[in-house]
Amino acid sequence: MVEKAKRLVIVVSEDKFDKAMMSMMMANTAASMGMEVHVFHTFFGLNLLKKGKVPKLGGMMRLFTGVFVGRMKAVGIENYPAQLAMALDLGVNIYACSTTMALMRITKENMVDGVKILGAAGFLDIAADGDISLFIG
Amino acid sequence: MQKDETLDCKGLMCPMPIVKLAKKMKEFPVGKVLEMISDDIGSKEDVPAWCKRTNNQLVEMKEDKGVFYYYIKRLV
Repeated sequence: MVEKAKRLVIVVSEDKFDKAMMSMMMANTAASMGMEVHVFHTFFGLNLLKKGKVPKLGGMMRLFTGVFVGRMKAVGIENYPAQLAMALDLGVNIYACSTTMALMRITKENMVDGVKILGAAGFLDIAADGDISLFIG
Repeated sequence: MQKDETLDCKGLMCPMPIVKLAKKMKEFPVGKVLEMISDDIGSKEDVPAWCKRTNNQLVEMKEDKGVFYYYIKRLV
């Protein structure tokens, strides 16, 4: 008897480099382990779904983003846009919070292809049956 | 240890060895054994965990000077 796949639910509420990378690296690992993954982007997390978005580290650390990107590349970990593309390719469900879209004036056309639009109740319905819930923000 | 193919993941750090392993195993013949090589210390726990969660068998695991050799049989 095949066991039902574990469901991982991630909420992303910030758009800095470390949060962005953590969310996609977790999502991609879980998807690679056969888990069903749902990632909900709300507030500043929504910025990460904009086409061509390249997140930076926060505050003063901003200047060191390149150092991190370089170090990660050296061990095979590609930058954020590639991680996001990989996630979509692996079947990770990527959601944009509908209200945040309106507040921040981000349209579906502004975002990468494959993003699904969802509200809080819709998301909580998915999270209610989640086995693992992670908040990255 | 008998192996049908090798996947060299040296130089890659978690989670890339697992992502590459999963991708490889997706097209790998059922019943065959893949030799996966990694020098990532995280792989020591990552690979057995991956096998457990995906219902594949870690037939054997050995280490030689910081390099890990995993022999994974595809069951499903």
